[in-house]
Amino acid sequence: MRPAKFILPVLMAMLAATHSAGAQNEWWNNDPSYVTPIEEAAVVARRPLGEIGQQKTELDSAALKLTVSQSMADVLTFNSSIFVKQYGRGSLSTVSFRGTAASHTQVTWNGMKINSPMLGMTDFSMIPSFFTDKASLLHGSSSLAVAGGGLGGAVLLATAPEQARGWQLDAVLGAGSFSTWDGFIKLGWGNSRWQLATRAAGTLSKNDFTYRNYKKKEYTYDAAGIPTGSYYPIDTNRCGSIRDVHLMQEAYYKTDAGDRLSLNAWWTSSVRGVPLLSVDYRQGSSYTNLQSENTLRLVCGWNHTGQKWLLDAKAGWLHTSQGYDFARDKGNGTMAKMIESRSLINTFHAAAQAKWFAADHLMVEAQLAAYQHFVKSQDRNAISRAAGDAGGGRKIAIGYEEGRFESSAYISAKWSPSRRLGISAAIREELYGESLSPIIPVLNLDWLLTNDLTLKASVSRNFRYPSLNDLYFLPGGNPDLLPESGISYDAGLSYYKIRPDRWVIKASASWFDSYIDNWIVWIPTFKGYWTPRNVLQVHAYGIESRAEGKYKLSRDWMLEGSGNFAWTPSINHGDPADWADEAIGKQLVYVPRFSASATGALAYRSWRLSYKWCWYSERYTTSDNDMATRIGRVLPYFMNDIVLEKKFGLRRTSLSLKLAVNNIFNEEYESVLNRPMPGRNYEVFIEITPDFSK
Amino acid sequence: MEYGPREEETFSIDLAQKGLFVLNEGNYMYGNASLSYYNPASGEVQNEVFARSNAFPLGDVAQSMTIHGGLGWVVVNNSGVIFAIDLASFREVRRITGFTAPRYIHFVSERKAYVTQIWDPRIYIVDPVECRITGYIETGMDFETGSTEMMVQTGGYVYVNCWSYQNCILKIDSSTDAVVARLEVGIQPSAMVKDAAGKLWTMTDGGYEGSPYGWEPATLSRIDPETFSIEKTFRFPASSQPRMLTSSGDGKTLYWINGGVYRMDSSSDALPVEPVVAQHGTIFYSLTIDPLSGEIYIGDAIDYTQSGVVLRYSPDGQLLGSFDVGVNPGNFCWRAAQ
Repeated sequence: MRPAKFILPVLMAMLAATHSAGAQNEWWNNDPSYVTPIEEAAVVARRPLGEIGQQKTELDSAALKLTVSQSMADVLTFNSSIFVKQYGRGSLSTVSFRGTAASHTQVTWNGMKINSPMLGMTDFSMIPSFFTDKASLLHGSSSLAVAGGGLGGAVLLATAPEQARGWQLDAVLGAGSFSTWDGFIKLGWGNSRWQLATRAAGTLSKNDFTYRNYKKKEYTYDAAGIPTGSYYPIDTNRCGSIRDVHLMQEAYYKTDAGDRLSLNAWWTSSVRGVPLLSVDYRQGSSYTNLQSENTLRLVCGWNHTGQKWLLDAKAGWLHTSQGYDFARDKGNGTMAKMIESRSLINTFHAAAQAKWFAADHLMVEAQLAAYQHFVKSQDRNAISRAAGDAGGGRKIAIGYEEGRFESSAYISAKWSPSRRLGISAAIREELYGESLSPIIPVLNLDWLLTNDLTLKASVSRNFRYPSLNDLYFLPGGNPDLLPESGISYDAGLSYYKIRPDRWVIKASASWFDSYIDNWIVWIPTFKGYWTPRNVLQVHAYGIESRAEGKYKLSRDWMLEGSGNFAWTPSINHGDPADWADEAIGKQLVYVPRFSASATGALAYRSWRLSYKWCWYSERYTTSDNDMATRIGRVLPYFMNDIVLEKKFGLRRTSLSLKLAVNNIFNEEYESVLNRPMPGRNYEVFIEITPDFSK
Repeated sequence: MEYGPREEETFSIDLAQKGLFVLNEGNYMYGNASLSYYNPASGEVQNEVFARSNAFPLGDVAQSMTIHGGLGWVVVNNSGVIFAIDLASFREVRRITGFTAPRYIHFVSERKAYVTQIWDPRIYIVDPVECRITGYIETGMDFETGSTEMMVQTGGYVYVNCWSYQNCILKIDSSTDAVVARLEVGIQPSAMVKDAAGKLWTMTDGGYEGSPYGWEPATLSRIDPETFSIEKTFRFPASSQPRMLTSSGDGKTLYWINGGVYRMDSSSDALPVEPVVAQHGTIFYSLTIDPLSGEIYIGDAIDYTQSGVVLRYSPDGQLLGSFDVGVNPGNFCWRAAQ
């Protein structure tokens, strides 16, 4: 922990203050500027009727578009207090709210749930932030407004039409450390009725960073072969290459009668290595350790905005084929496959939603969503049946093929009987296969204490049904699993103040208290495989807080910042596994008690300097929170990134250059035990945005 | 505590007293395997002795340990490495790499040892002095699912049980390093020991429900190594999950875990009905028998994600004590007093 890590944001603020006095020079005509009007950039404080009592975090669009190489996992790491668990650079990244698990986070894209029905969770490293125009977080019971099962919360991702007239083009090319290349292009066209856009993005990286491996030692010897000393070697991240391609097509059409039609299709093709552990002595060059994914997400929508009604209908299809291959060189150049797992997911989705504004201060909302999943999961590494068994000698794969129908119905009434008070009552009911959930009630409250300060509170139940792997995976799936169930309370204050075209500040803090029963944990069996069981009872509670603001120092200078802090005890109160169980009353594995992040940006005309910082407290790797261990500690770490941007206003083109320095203090750290992370690294980007209107 | 280099601790174990090494598997893909050392005479236990002595961790999934030539050979499965450690200081003195996923090491001679694997049908031949792989024993299984496990030597032959998605015992001529015979014993033979009469005993786990390889009741079989044939087979009830077959020091008694710990005379004609150590609020994960005293040591993994416990029982099943070890104590290795 070095003091220098805290100095940079302070320096930026001082620099801004120094320049604000002398910044009364003339406006730099015709030059693009990062200094934006406060009114447009500000987030409106007063909640719409539909968001009464909701604990919601809207991510700033500038954060989403900071660099083309960042995934949504990177954005959430630095712009929220939720825990992002990264298994390495460009590796699996999951997010969890309020001391819960990754499978307790529901994720929607343009209104369609995109959690894997096999695993229950979402890999945020596979979602490029440039493919997301709007991102928001619904904390705790607020997630019930969009879906059930979000015991921790929900992440809502969406695309949005540009208000283009004619052609638009935006192209970015990036190059970075570890032989990394990133590219992005968006071509759009629009008129008063149509908005069309095509996006493409790609990442290619050897991802072969080096690091000092404190998990191994090498020895030095004298001429007689006697050891003379030892050292920790410089190792290379092995088997970690990345090749991702994303394509997206969007079409929007609107009528004069208030109807809007939309089509969004997003195709992802990814082949990534799974990096070896830092304690693995196998030669990376002798192994293939690859995961591949091809995913198509398709959503068609219609919505209608009337005087009293908002109607919305959607249909979607999600197709994913995934593979994992683990093979080794036999020594003669041929690869022997040891694992060849394949899975195929097809999900068909339909949803309808209606909001009826029955009176000025009363809205009634109803939702109905349905998902039909078809999943086939198998290890193609065919095995021979035992001799003498029926079909002996025949090769057969191990796996399962199952389908499940899920539907969710939601009805709510939102009422604002006075200017200061808002009340929302809702009921959600879910069907999973043949299981009908108990009624899931939600009650939300808003109370405007002053013109700037709002009190929010909510209480709800929630349920999460086991994933298809939980139920059917072979070997180990447990069809007798019960759904995880939770009760959640939260209350908080939200503050908002704006001085138009000068500054805006928004802050919130909330307390939450959740009880989750039948928490599913995979545990080993005596036959060498793992099986899920309803094991834990968890009390997750704590505080989440966030502050953000913008300060326009002058016409040429602007300072913005945001900060997040969360205290998230997540305590195991289950029955002891046996008399020696020391895990009761302890923090859950890989849930930090504290997390924090901050961003700051200082803009001067066409220059902008952005700073990102995050911190996680220790994540325990054992359920008894063993601190005496020398081998199982994942220590707290700070991460500091910086981006310097410069825009150029050319005659018919806007051009910007960016330099990003990640991990600027070259911190050696792990996010997950024995998964190496890179030290200081660099990226440069060039972005070209032609102006076809000139 | 900072992320970074560690200090090497100095140990000096009294080799005149026997000791027990506990191999704590850790969690798969966590890399938190560890080695504990217990002195039965003093009751003293030292945990993470490899990491403390060498200032780096043991690795991912500690599988087994064999003492040979005055060194302890620790097989770390998912790290693909075998460390040889000094038995008094726990310092690494040799290292063999190049494996796929090693399980056990068996010494045929001073310059030749066999190493079994999963995800690799070949048994690796290594030179433990030069620490290099010198060849392979081809087993005829396919690369995808072939696996080999424990090894027991009788005369010039080494017998190997093939566990994962397999059903046989291999007989290897240690002079030619070739498989000379195979014997089907049932689905997934998980362990093998030799009794006082020189007979081999193997336990099958029977696979699992839904396995395309098949599912059948677990068995315990006695094999005559001379004729390489099954002499008798005991079948367990379908609901049983017997495992961790081991034997007493004199080889006259067999032990295993099936919920509780069961004991059977090697000349018995029937499976025991009552356990010698019943399961009372404990999860028995691993088992070893003090070769001299006959005391029973049982590893308890608790919830599989915390420091485990080893329970020590008298030969007649009375609890004598317990000591804390590392995550998932899965195997043991006795060091005789010198």
